Amino acid sequence: MRNAHITGIGRFVPPKVVTNEDLTARMDTSDDWIQQRTGIQQRYYSEGSVGAADMGAIAAREALERAGVRAEDVDCVIFATLSPDVDMPSSACLLQARLNIGGIPAFDVRNQCSGFLYGLATANAFIKAGRFARVLVVGGEVHSTGIDITTRGRDVAVIFGDGAAAVVVEPVDDPHKGILTTHLHAEGKYAEKLWLECAAARERPRLTEAMVEGDPPRVFPRMEGRYVFKHAVQRFTEVINEALEAGGYTAADLDLLIPHQANLRISQMVALGFELPEEKVLNNIQRYGNTTAASIGLALYEAVETGRLRDGNLLCLAAFGAGFTWASALIRW
Amino acid sequence: MPTALLGLAHHLPAPQRVGSVQRPIFAEPGGPSDLAVPAAGQALREAAIAAPDVEFLIFATMTPDVTFPGAACYFQDKFGLGTVGALDVRGQCAGFLMGLMIADDYLRAGIYRNVLLAAGEVHSAGLDYSEAGEPIARLFGDGAAVAVLGVRSDGNGLESVVCHSDGRHYERFWIEYPSSRQHPLRLTVDDLRAGKHFPRIDREHVERFGVDHLPEVVREALHAAGVTAQQIDCFLLSHVLPSVVERSAAALALSPSRWVAAGATHGHLTAAALPVALSEARAAGRIGHGARVCLAACGAGYAWGAAVLTI
Repeated sequence: MRNAHITGIGRFVPPKVVTNEDLTARMDTSDDWIQQRTGIQQRYYSEGSVGAADMGAIAAREALERAGVRAEDVDCVIFATLSPDVDMPSSACLLQARLNIGGIPAFDVRNQCSGFLYGLATANAFIKAGRFARVLVVGGEVHSTGIDITTRGRDVAVIFGDGAAAVVVEPVDDPHKGILTTHLHAEGKYAEKLWLECAAARERPRLTEAMVEGDPPRVFPRMEGRYVFKHAVQRFTEVINEALEAGGYTAADLDLLIPHQANLRISQMVALGFELPEEKVLNNIQRYGNTTAASIGLALYEAVETGRLRDGNLLCLAAFGAGFTWASALIRW
Repeated sequence: MPTALLGLAHHLPAPQRVGSVQRPIFAEPGGPSDLAVPAAGQALREAAIAAPDVEFLIFATMTPDVTFPGAACYFQDKFGLGTVGALDVRGQCAGFLMGLMIADDYLRAGIYRNVLLAAGEVHSAGLDYSEAGEPIARLFGDGAAVAVLGVRSDGNGLESVVCHSDGRHYERFWIEYPSSRQHPLRLTVDDLRAGKHFPRIDREHVERFGVDHLPEVVREALHAAGVTAQQIDCFLLSHVLPSVVERSAAALALSPSRWVAAGATHGHLTAAALPVALSEARAAGRIGHGARVCLAACGAGYAWGAAVLTI
């Protein structure tokens, strides 16, 4: 059974930069307030009718090129998103159309901030089981069309940004390289601590004008920030430990930790718990905001580009978010 | 050892009239996770696995309880599955088969020893039951099924599962809104008034695609399993349009006693269609222990697939 490994990575963020200062024109907030709580300085917003699959397709092309894999040789597309281009079918299908690779299986993973790692773990299973040899895992989000960019919605709205990232996952012959272990968790008890209610198939009907126009509207995400913060620090720590233990390592063995970019303060607190120096934790939320399923890919791209991640390094990817869901992957790069 | 079906059960709400037909409609507020809970209890009893021993959960639906988190998280909480991973998959009409393919590989890779695969839909919450919408509304029903997958000592199990998608025609069978690519807002009251949040189907295109691909994927799954059509005890075929199922069975030269139209009495249950049909056929004695079945579905995406399984 061969290990799976990430052989190429790509990314795309839309051109429009939205600074904290820009947001102050649309809501009562300030650069200081946002930076103090989240570390975020700016984020990107998609424009026109550009959706998650459009951005994901650009990221995927770059990832394929870097992996030296032709689009027509991809065996399967896994798309992680919570902001699909259309309600149905999946953004995976739309991305498949953009890349003109009809015929292979393509599906969406809907696991919010942990979506990229749920997708990566699934690609890992496909490859270990020998079903597929080239899996494209994409995370893409257009949050900007689904957040309440007013004073009423500011607690959530200031956090999120748009973007996409993609990786190509292939088998690797060296048994010491690649994805060593993956860990997936969820706890639905806290589903409504960070959620987007409507459309809701549990309502009758699932969408109404009142859901859109109510105060507050039920079509925007809502969050109990402190609650999420507390659980995030705990679960991030647990799931990183779980990966280290499964691999027979300790935190001191780690060359790089890439946490899902939820909030700089969460990442810093987690890193502190492991006594990891700053250079061993990659944070770039300052420039992208929280891009949910795209964030780990965007950070991984930066790690590769800047040389912070090199051949042979021990890498831990970890995520926590809505669901609650949390996950980790330990990778020998 | 192949991945085996250790337990399977379904749950359908009471039928109600939709125009001239009866459909299972989940009348009280509740989502697919609620429909899956009773099925899961029964499936786990059959599998002789206690809920705390379930190692992984996959939920296939296109009509989740809320927009996010997914139905898997809600189901996990309602059914008491602790903090196991809960994967939400969108594969539309092929959702169950995609879930089966994923579960199969988590098991074969040795990552988990058992997987609970749920599929459920509450379409009725999102259909247009006005006179204008009825021709599409009557196609769908609500329901859920749960399969427990693992390894069985008799060596029976999954012999093949193949899945495909082709997004080039995604607008032939889709629900456009909420649509995150629409700026500045993915859903407005105007969109609702225009009915853009209801499913739309280009029947001619969807029918042609189904007739071309459903028999083809059955043949592919048979080939992958190394069996002939004669070695299959029962074919379960799923498509939103009953005519596609009939024409596919004819194209495969199947006699009427050898195939089941998954949506014949309940309407189309999308991700839940195949496991509900399999569970019903088993409960009715139509197929028994050791029977070899072929499941196949084709639908929105387009997404299609098939599996050969000895139950």
